Amino acid sequence: MLGLRSSLKGSLRALNSQSRLVSSSAIAAKSTYRTPDFGDYLKEKNDADKSRSYAYFMVGSLGLLSSAGAKSTVETFITSMSASADVLAMAKVEVNLAAIPEGKNVVVKWQGKPVFIRHRTTGEVDEANGVDMSALKDPQTDADRTKNPEWLVMLGICTHLGCVPIGESGDFGGWFCPCHGSHYDISGRIRKGPAPLNLEIPEYEFDGEKLIVG
Amino acid sequence: MAFSTIYNVFFKRNSVFVGTVFAASFVFQAAFDSSVTAWYEAHNKGKLWKDVKLKLAEGGDDEDEDDE
Repeated sequence: MLGLRSSLKGSLRALNSQSRLVSSSAIAAKSTYRTPDFGDYLKEKNDADKSRSYAYFMVGSLGLLSSAGAKSTVETFITSMSASADVLAMAKVEVNLAAIPEGKNVVVKWQGKPVFIRHRTTGEVDEANGVDMSALKDPQTDADRTKNPEWLVMLGICTHLGCVPIGESGDFGGWFCPCHGSHYDISGRIRKGPAPLNLEIPEYEFDGEKLIVG
Repeated sequence: MAFSTIYNVFFKRNSVFVGTVFAASFVFQAAFDSSVTAWYEAHNKGKLWKDVKLKLAEGGDDEDEDDE
């Protein structure tokens, strides 16, 4: 064992004297290796700024394409979560207001629920405005409940237990729920009976002669 | 030199570089979408619903009667 080690040492020392196994900078500085002349292969007017800008531009362009792709992928998933056109079409209902004479009620079905539309007379509007707020269980002015005082649009579901009130009846000249006797006034506000809240107002807008609920 | 200016403005700071790329991707996407749509509509002119709709509006009633 000892003999083997001493013989290895001797052979390494012998090797060291003639050639190097590992190079080091101190020796490399003295190296006789001659760097080849690459001049023939270099561009004549090599612009380092230009080639660097070109490289960065290509990297940036790839990033642009990937980020645009990623953005559109994410957008696709997000838009797939929103309601489709057929669902949206079912979610709205259009009513021709010209066909409703003054002082008449119309009931339309919107998303499976009845919607009361009343073309109110000026007398009814005055009546709705003349109500004392302190007399109301759920105080709301008539202006809060209508976009156009001539037209009252509201969900025809009693806020008590969800029956459909009957129009043009009750003690207050509005609606009356036959189930438990809730009386609503001409603005759909609860006046008497067990219902806690005024009849709900859906989202709606006027488009000329048409009313769009939803 | 112009290229060193480009380098100094856009590429030197990584935040500016990445920000430019993201901002440009929004512009690129809008431009790409509108150009592809424009090409598609030009390529399929006369077959699209908006063209057919006009045609139907002109002589709509006659065609319905022919079908029935």
